Amino acid sequence: MATDNANADGFGEVSRVRGIAFEYLSLGASVFGLVALGVLLVYVAIDAFDLSNASPEWLLTYFVTLVVPFLAFCLYSADDPAVTRRALGALGGGLVAVAVVFTAIESLLVPIPRLNWQLAYLFVVAAPVAAYLTYVGSNGRPGAVGFGLLGRLVGGAALGLAVGTLFLVFDSLVWFLAYTLGVLPAVGLYAYGRVREASRARTAALPVGFLGLVAAVVLRDVIPTYPSDLLIYLWTIAVPIAVAGGLVVADRRGRTVAAVAAGLPLAVATAGGFWATGAGLPAPTVLLVLVTTGVPTAVYVSRVVDVGEGVVGLALPFLIAGGVVVGALVVEAWGVPAPDPWLDAGFVTEAPSRTPANAGLYPAIVGSVIIIALVAVLSFLLGVGTSVFLEEYTPGTGPIGTLTRILQVNIANLAAVPSVVYGLLGLGLFANLLGLGIGTAVTAALTLSLLILPITIISAQEAIRSVPDDLRRGSDAMGATRWQTTKNVVLPEAMPGILTGTILALGRAIGETAPLIMIGAATTVFNPPSSLFSRFSAMPMQIYTWAGFPQADFRYGVVAAGVITLLIILVGMNGTAILLRNRAERGS
Amino acid sequence: MSNTTSDDSLITTEVQADSNDDRAPVNEAGTAVAARDLNVYYGDEQAINDVTMEIPEKRVTALIGPSGCGKSTFLRTINRMNDMIDICRVEGDVEFGGKNVYDADVDPVALRRKIGMVFQKPNPFPKSIRDNVAYGLKIQGFDGDVDARVEESLKGAALWDEVKDQLHSSGLELSGGQQQRLCIARAIAPDPEVILMDEPTSALDPVAASKIEDLIDDLAEEYTVIIVTHNMQQAARISDRTAVFLTGGELVEYDDTAKIFEDPEQQRVEDYITGKFG
Repeated sequence: MATDNANADGFGEVSRVRGIAFEYLSLGASVFGLVALGVLLVYVAIDAFDLSNASPEWLLTYFVTLVVPFLAFCLYSADDPAVTRRALGALGGGLVAVAVVFTAIESLLVPIPRLNWQLAYLFVVAAPVAAYLTYVGSNGRPGAVGFGLLGRLVGGAALGLAVGTLFLVFDSLVWFLAYTLGVLPAVGLYAYGRVREASRARTAALPVGFLGLVAAVVLRDVIPTYPSDLLIYLWTIAVPIAVAGGLVVADRRGRTVAAVAAGLPLAVATAGGFWATGAGLPAPTVLLVLVTTGVPTAVYVSRVVDVGEGVVGLALPFLIAGGVVVGALVVEAWGVPAPDPWLDAGFVTEAPSRTPANAGLYPAIVGSVIIIALVAVLSFLLGVGTSVFLEEYTPGTGPIGTLTRILQVNIANLAAVPSVVYGLLGLGLFANLLGLGIGTAVTAALTLSLLILPITIISAQEAIRSVPDDLRRGSDAMGATRWQTTKNVVLPEAMPGILTGTILALGRAIGETAPLIMIGAATTVFNPPSSLFSRFSAMPMQIYTWAGFPQADFRYGVVAAGVITLLIILVGMNGTAILLRNRAERGS
Repeated sequence: MSNTTSDDSLITTEVQADSNDDRAPVNEAGTAVAARDLNVYYGDEQAINDVTMEIPEKRVTALIGPSGCGKSTFLRTINRMNDMIDICRVEGDVEFGGKNVYDADVDPVALRRKIGMVFQKPNPFPKSIRDNVAYGLKIQGFDGDVDARVEESLKGAALWDEVKDQLHSSGLELSGGQQQRLCIARAIAPDPEVILMDEPTSALDPVAASKIEDLIDDLAEEYTVIIVTHNMQQAARISDRTAVFLTGGELVEYDDTAKIFEDPEQQRVEDYITGKFG
């Protein structure tokens, strides 16, 4: 070759030292953050569930009855020998490694408080392996079916609880009238218009619905007698959900199956509601939970049976429930010491108490859920409205353009204002000036909405701005008005981004304490709020209060249980919102 | 490729013009769109310089010229898409259906419902194929059988056979050429009178482009088609009339396509067409 001489020692080398250093530094930073958070959460979980008192026998029992069958199910679903080898290797090797390292650290360096090597194995090896196998297993057909069913059960129950909670403050009688006079006729007209291609019926739906709502508010105090709450919820919520579920099934499988899939859960829920009335439980909530769990589950099961793939996955909930029951029986029979968790059924269903053992978070959970629902609606509407106006309707030039730019800068700055200041604003504006009351739920909701509004606006603006101009021009050229373009093209395309921003902002709102203190929210209340204007407490307020109590059990056990509850509700809320967003993404 | 016989590149002097013999002579057609003393400015810069031309109805009229010569701007003045640009200023008349579209009482949104437009880059909405085609019907409150009209439009855009089984899948899943035909179907669904095309094939491969060219030929049976193109052969193949714009927004020559490509009046036009400049 002609270039032999030049290439005698290759092309030389380009140094990558700095790039590699940067790569590992950033990796180290993120790993450090995650590990720190993980250690914190592990200790909080140990406190909340009193795991430091769990005997090795207790752990072993549940490991055998619950964890092992679950992992086996995931491995069966994944159906991949390589995954099985890897998982078993990690579980076995991890067992030895954790035991040795843990014992070595304890005997040579420092004793590790509140942990034993079995627990460390659970958190460091078993939990990650289970998470990995859950992921791998859900890609297999039976796993997908099993986790889909599990998701519907858990999600349906959460939805039912949330709706039941909201009806604690919203007037169910107005809702009954509004549904009967407004919503039902409007939906009926619209559906009729769709089926019969009668556009007049469709156009009439909106005014009819509106008139019905107005009539409901007017007639609320005129009508002397109402059916019982249970019947109201049965008529306005349970039956429509069952009908909707039935329609979905009927589309695919015909009327008989649809009637069973919708009727069976409805019958069970109704029976459960009446039983709960006798047993002294909140009947409407029981009814709602049974319906929101039962109908989607029935629809899902009918679809899985129809498709006929991975039907075996339907056994997953039974596997888990069976594992818990068998584990409890074995522990009972064996008589081994079991932990006494702070976070138990009583904690989430009872009011606060002076003794740590009886302390509950129920009123604060209800307060938080109500506030966050209001904040979600308010900040979404205001945020989307403002950002659409700023992005789509204001011109970029001229005096109005200048005004818009000033507004933009101020909104960006508002995002950086400390939350205490928003608390002060809420106190002055909503509580005092508008007279909404100090420490009421509606004051808190408005204050928190203001607090996160800049974040929702900015993220919604970003989302709207990222919609390609090509699409807007395409719609304009079809002769769409600006509103039609915004509604039909821009908003659907921007919606996933808008929702992402709102979800992040809501996560911040649910954990805020400082503004609640400023607007005078109660530290402890013993009854859940019964209207938007009653005094309330929120989860972070209650946790903060407990943290200042003198008894150690409050500061360690009860606070930890509160934190875990807050995190579970936060994750549940975000998870639901993310599912909705992903559906919106797929829909577009 | 369509019914041309010449595969020569632009370098050759002879670009065969196809006079579309299947249609009656141009001078028998009425006028769809007419510009009179049209001047368009972007700020201080003049994009269209005193253009007067009459565009025949149910014919294909091509606008050609080098980049920045104002041909796209001219296209957008017809359906007032230039209104979206803040600094754009229009003087003179553009008549459509015997009415100056820049009169104060003309609603540009209503105007655009009579004039379809196809853009350089295919821009289907992120909706299903059916919803894409039905979009214009939906926003105009169409009261008839939407699905029949969707089918008709997709057939009109020579896309029906390829997508009839996937009407409910996203329009973005189609190939580039199919997307552009989807945009054409979308434009013709509300039954406009004029279709404006702004370099509709420049983002497509030659096979997809030739399908669009065949389609344009068919569209001229029912619609007035005005097409901006950079591709001289394309203009020669598909158009009945050709307008040559040169730098500065000047309409240099406007005549039957055969005349422009075989025996242009002006030396500048011949230089441009034969590739000596532009």
